[in-house]
Amino acid sequence: MKDREYMRDPDSSTSGTHIHEKTEDRADVRSVSRNEERTESRTEKGSGSRNRCMRAVLALTVFFIFLPVIVTMLWTVTGRWPWPSLLPESYTTRTLQELFSGSSSLHEILRGSVLIATIVALLGTVIAMMTARATEIYRIRGRQIISWSAMLPLIVPGTVFAMGIQVILIRMGLGDTVAGVILVHLVAALPYCVFIMTDITAAVGSNLEEQAQILGAGPVRSFFDVSVPQLLPGILSSASMAYIISYSQYFTTLLAGGGKVKTLALVMVPYIQSGDRALSSVYAVTFVGSALIVFFIFEALIHRIMRSEES
Amino acid sequence: MKREHIVPLLLITPFALITVLVLAAIINIMVQSLGYMPVFGLYDISLKYYLEELSRPEVLQSLGVSVRVALFSAVLAAVIGTIICAALVRTGRTRGVMLYTVRLPILVPHTVVAVFTVALLAQTGLFARIAFALGMIGDYTEFPMLLFGKDYWGVILAYVWKEAPFIAYFSLALMANVSATLGEAAENLGASPMRSFFHITLPMSLPAIARGFIIVFIFAFGGYELPMLLGSTVPKAFPVYTYIEFIKPDFKLRPYAMAMNGITLIMSLVMALIYALLMQRLMKKIGGGYEG
Repeated sequence: MKDREYMRDPDSSTSGTHIHEKTEDRADVRSVSRNEERTESRTEKGSGSRNRCMRAVLALTVFFIFLPVIVTMLWTVTGRWPWPSLLPESYTTRTLQELFSGSSSLHEILRGSVLIATIVALLGTVIAMMTARATEIYRIRGRQIISWSAMLPLIVPGTVFAMGIQVILIRMGLGDTVAGVILVHLVAALPYCVFIMTDITAAVGSNLEEQAQILGAGPVRSFFDVSVPQLLPGILSSASMAYIISYSQYFTTLLAGGGKVKTLALVMVPYIQSGDRALSSVYAVTFVGSALIVFFIFEALIHRIMRSEES
Repeated sequence: MKREHIVPLLLITPFALITVLVLAAIINIMVQSLGYMPVFGLYDISLKYYLEELSRPEVLQSLGVSVRVALFSAVLAAVIGTIICAALVRTGRTRGVMLYTVRLPILVPHTVVAVFTVALLAQTGLFARIAFALGMIGDYTEFPMLLFGKDYWGVILAYVWKEAPFIAYFSLALMANVSATLGEAAENLGASPMRSFFHITLPMSLPAIARGFIIVFIFAFGGYELPMLLGSTVPKAFPVYTYIEFIKPDFKLRPYAMAMNGITLIMSLVMALIYALLMQRLMKKIGGGYEG
């Protein structure tokens, strides 16, 4: 867990700066100017070709990430695309019409998926916030055990957990219910929420909050007025992470919901299995698109907060 | 004084309840896999179900498939992920549009990754069409059966598409940090960029890469959607096989399915343990100097 503190932000190399200084201190003053010369000549000659190579790697990465996305988007409007044409022969809006009119339930399913994911995001973030406060501010005993418990759902595969929890959910009266689905999604999302909230809570600390209390603010008010604004970037990224995880769940939804709780991840699988590329592509694009919209709204909010904090 | 004791306990309660739920699921699997299901008149606790499962050739075959998928996916994702990460660090593209692009596959659900994979790798997919256009194959039947084949290459490549960026993204912070401090120091002292990367930056970034490797291994081993949608019917991936055993209506067969879950669980825990021990040693070896 020690390496977690380096995971925050690639650009804020806070934990590394003092090492840099130490190495510089040790360097012989006389050799500094010589080193500078050498560095300059290297950036001119050597790193030119190497950087080109690295840029080629990045270009390939971008190409392979977007290629399937573009081909799938093309499939959504494809009428006929026979072998071995490289591009579709005819285009149509049939699949789009089918998506919106054919199954009138898409609207409902989308609403259900969004509702479940939103509740999971909310609960996951609040629980993670409370957990982080207990471990980082109150320094509750058994922090090592808590940190291992938080990792547990990452170590136990979702399939195993889902098959183990099903009977328990049924006994609790939560089998085939939305509440049961929310509960298993929460388990899948919580590790990430706890990691994010623990990091930011440790970074924010409680000094300012204590000062507010010394100045006469109550504990509740000092928390909501002083700490929450500082925690906000973490709260938002925890919520967006939990949202995406819940939105993506297939197997856990299938088992906890018993096929009765329908989400977008669930309803698109039969189309993939039937081999209808056009329709499964339409669902895929709808799925990713609707998830990304939420993700970017959260990202935009985080950026806005970060910027207003800087100024 | 009293309040100080109660508040943290109240704060931790919801987390503790969820953890109890996870533990309950694990205990349930362990107990049932040992053959204890009083509801159905099964009382004898034994390793019978594990031993029987592990002596069936189909089970071993299926276990082999999943280990193969997990190992190949994790190794390829770790190597490619590290290269992408190094490229991001070297070119200084550690934020902005480039980073959002790398994060995209992490956000794409497995079901959608399956659609993507079919579009590219099917025998009538884009790659087969390009191969035909280049004259490399005469007919789509000549294109290798990456999907639904016994080798599970389609599943492995699908995991690599999704998880290589995952490893790159989650190793980025550490690698950028090491490269900006110790890596640069080595270069200033005369080390070539290659040497500074392989001798300083890469070894120091290993904790993050190793963590990514283990997570991808466990994900790919226990994953259901991709092998179910893109794998062969015989042999099946282990979780797919387990689920088929699990939904059999005869409840007396339940311990067999649970024994299979137990095997997956034990494998995952062993992987996590190996990781924990490895990290401890690695931290001792390099930690002293770096933690400062």
